[in-house]
Amino acid sequence: MTEVPVSRLRNFCIIAHIDHGKSTLADRLLQDTETVASRDMQEQFLDNMDLERERGITIKLQAARMNYVANDGQKYVLNLIDTPGHVDFSYEVSRSLQACEGALLVVDASQGVEAQTLANVYLALENDLEIIPVLNKVDLPGSDPEKIKEEIESIIGLDTSTAILCSAKTGLGVPEILQAVVERVPPPQDKLDQSTRALIFDSYYDPYRGVIVYFRVISGRISDRDKIFLMASKKSYELDEIGVMAPDQRKVDELHAGEVGYLAASIKAVADARVGDTITLLNSPATEPLPGYTEAKPMVFCGLFPTDADQYPDLREALEKLQLSDAALKYEPETSSAMGFGFRCGFLGLLHMEIVQERLEREYDLDLIVTAPSVVYQVNLLNGEMLMVDNPAVLPDPQQRESIEEPYVRIEIYAPNEYNGTLMGLCQDRRGDFIDMKYMTTERVTLVYEMPLAEVVTDFFDQMKSRTKGYASMEYHLIGYRKNDLVRLDVLINADRADPLTTIVHREKAYGVGRGLVEKLKELIPRQQFKIPLQASIGSRIIASQSISALRKDVLAKCYGGDISRKKKLLQKQAKGKKRMKSMGKVDVPQEAFMAVLKLNQ
Amino acid sequence: MPLGDFAGGEAGPGSSSIQAYLTLLSREIALAPKAPPLSTIYIGGGTPSILSPKQIAYVLEILIDSFGIQNGAEITLEIDPASFYKDDLKEYISIGINRFSLGAQSFDDEVLARIGRRHTSFELFQACEWVENFFRKGELSSWNIDLIQNLPDQDLTSWEKQLKEVLNIHPPHISIYDLAIEKGTVFAWRKGRGELNLPSDEIAADICALTSAMLKDAGFSRYEISNYALPGHTSRHNRVYWSGGGWWGFGLGATSCPWGEMLERPRTRAEYEKWVIKQESLGIDESLKPGKKSSMDLDELFLVGLRRREGIDVEQLAKNWGWKKKERKVFLSRLENAWASSIEKGWLVRKGSRYVLSDPDGMNVSNHILVEMMLWWESLPKIAHSLPSFSVRL
Repeated sequence: MTEVPVSRLRNFCIIAHIDHGKSTLADRLLQDTETVASRDMQEQFLDNMDLERERGITIKLQAARMNYVANDGQKYVLNLIDTPGHVDFSYEVSRSLQACEGALLVVDASQGVEAQTLANVYLALENDLEIIPVLNKVDLPGSDPEKIKEEIESIIGLDTSTAILCSAKTGLGVPEILQAVVERVPPPQDKLDQSTRALIFDSYYDPYRGVIVYFRVISGRISDRDKIFLMASKKSYELDEIGVMAPDQRKVDELHAGEVGYLAASIKAVADARVGDTITLLNSPATEPLPGYTEAKPMVFCGLFPTDADQYPDLREALEKLQLSDAALKYEPETSSAMGFGFRCGFLGLLHMEIVQERLEREYDLDLIVTAPSVVYQVNLLNGEMLMVDNPAVLPDPQQRESIEEPYVRIEIYAPNEYNGTLMGLCQDRRGDFIDMKYMTTERVTLVYEMPLAEVVTDFFDQMKSRTKGYASMEYHLIGYRKNDLVRLDVLINADRADPLTTIVHREKAYGVGRGLVEKLKELIPRQQFKIPLQASIGSRIIASQSISALRKDVLAKCYGGDISRKKKLLQKQAKGKKRMKSMGKVDVPQEAFMAVLKLNQ
Repeated sequence: MPLGDFAGGEAGPGSSSIQAYLTLLSREIALAPKAPPLSTIYIGGGTPSILSPKQIAYVLEILIDSFGIQNGAEITLEIDPASFYKDDLKEYISIGINRFSLGAQSFDDEVLARIGRRHTSFELFQACEWVENFFRKGELSSWNIDLIQNLPDQDLTSWEKQLKEVLNIHPPHISIYDLAIEKGTVFAWRKGRGELNLPSDEIAADICALTSAMLKDAGFSRYEISNYALPGHTSRHNRVYWSGGGWWGFGLGATSCPWGEMLERPRTRAEYEKWVIKQESLGIDESLKPGKKSSMDLDELFLVGLRRREGIDVEQLAKNWGWKKKERKVFLSRLENAWASSIEKGWLVRKGSRYVLSDPDGMNVSNHILVEMMLWWESLPKIAHSLPSFSVRL
């Protein structure tokens, strides 16, 4: 690896909405700079996790270093820092933007700007990044670059006269992009002489080498013989290795200000090297850490229970291991009379929750019951105490409560204006307070609402998508707590309270939700040997009831010769389904039933 | 006690195509190893009655040449109404067929059209009359009518009418099963769209109960979940499947299980041909060679055995299968626990070590009871699943 002067370093990232072609473009850049040989090319090289590749989204950040000879004949080093593309991970996005001097704003030339892109562009502008607009997918018949350019100008106020038209798929415009990165993205500030400070913008857990930390050196130098000190976690480590991502990890002796690299130092858990922390040298530490570090706080909570009680120790072990690689994941033991032993887990958002659940089932082979997501309520008790409640089932009785406060978010929805009516209806239905409506162009509008987070973490996103044929996008952030008239809604299955189905709802919606819940449960819980009453209650008052009648009949099929093995397979499938159910009292309840509250509108 | 289970008929019309198929079939039969003579033969699957009596005779001849046949063997031919004439029946009988199974499905023209059957009720009544005549003259030892219950739009009244029709004809054997909606069929698609007005579980249960009661009143015995017979007319061939006996199977899509392991043949003509050629060049499938295995798995024996009126003697079956006394005690008491609530409900009746499904309630929920059995089987240690000692059952 050759020593590169700071003046010939360029650090940049790509801002794009899901599906607008970020990963494909990143792949193309790696290919054009011959960083990755074409034959080694896997589709979407930067997205490493299976889950990411399957879902086509970036969850964890990755980075890649490219060597590039520009039109001036000089060799440049370009560091591409990938950013996650989901609202759950906006803190990570802000950290990775801090590691860059420029950003490619990739917009689909037929779709236009989306809310998530917008949010990230504003973040980039706040960080003083040079933004290069790129219109992708211009090869597609539906593309209209001129119109989208106008949109970018009117919405973001960026000059698009030098926007680059590209097709990551065909390679059109890719050389122009590389040249623009060199010419338009400023080099890092030359702070070689200052004390060493490096920003952690990502980390992941490697079972053999411990945590691998991705960082950007802001000032000074780091060599592989240094002892480092992490200023937020206040821990020091001896370095095992440092290197660059090319895009495979390649060891180097030293990295200096402006460079991007990785380090391994036998760090045990990612929680010890959190994103946003500042790396300095133990022997000559910097006086001040880099600004902007916060610990990611979980916003959404749910219960995780093993279907089979014997798997509880396995679940605990799996969570311990996952936490090594996921600093935002929080968990503590939870016991419920209905569900037995499990854990109450905290997540950044719904996607984060789904990812963790899927990884637990896939990588650790666990059968889990996941309860409906909840937010953290602030309960003011009559005795003056204040309680934070992340589990509806443990909400204190009304007699002890003075008031309940719930978290609110400011949500911005961005959509073609024809969907205004339906979206406003949705927001109103979800207890949203209208704040603003801004026409970004003549055809596109931003709706701004303040809304309880609890309403957002149910099926809000799905509803928004389905009501707008997928055209709407959204972005939200927490704005604080507000008092509301909230009640605890319990569900009784066969006269036993089912803790995991308890929810906290607004009094005015309680009847509707209660009725919907018992109806949905009637659909989801299979018939059993006896009649099962289903009830919803507030306190001791039953507000809705239904019942599942007893099983009387299966399909009577013939069973000769070849039917026997078919029959056996069918029964095995049914047995497997039954094994995945949770026994609550005498009733077998399938996994989907615990998410019933999310399915009330289907 | 090996049997013939010939599944054919998917060859489609065209005599050259049928002839080519029969040649392929004879090549497959020729590969079968030596085995005891056949006690029953069943020619079914698809519409075998599109084969001419001569062609059926050809198949019978090869089978009997290969295995031999026992005196008084039951030889059944599946026939679909509107695919034969009275004279054809006479000829089938003359070449050795002594039992017909008639795919009636329904006596209602509207229903027949809706489930895609080619025949009309008129043709069905005619076919019944012909067959019944041969039976009364003593030229057939028995015959069967297949009916489907719990069809879309069916209610108790319309089903009662169907039962009365079949009892009017009074065949010695009746098979009745529910409409099964298979994935990927038009029915499944229409069901998904909510277009099928299927009887509710309550009505379906009542329909089953009515079937059981009316046929019993008429002197039939429900000797298996979906089969009713007058005394002396249970199907010997069917009973082999449910008692865990072995059977041969030849032809397109046929399943064989001569020594306890099932083998299904390909379901398309081209794939079947490739399969036969492979058997000829590389040797026959392991499951067809004697000595590899001596019985179906125990859970399979329970699964099929419980369908019968007499149910299963779990102690006896487990002993024959090879579980020692201690294993039987531990594992079978766990089965009793698994079935406790079904016994309490009266769905399952226990007499000593014998379990019997009650009729009609237990038979109506047999899947539920079998799922409990499967969960029990899967919960057993691995050692319980492998046959510990080799025993020859034949």
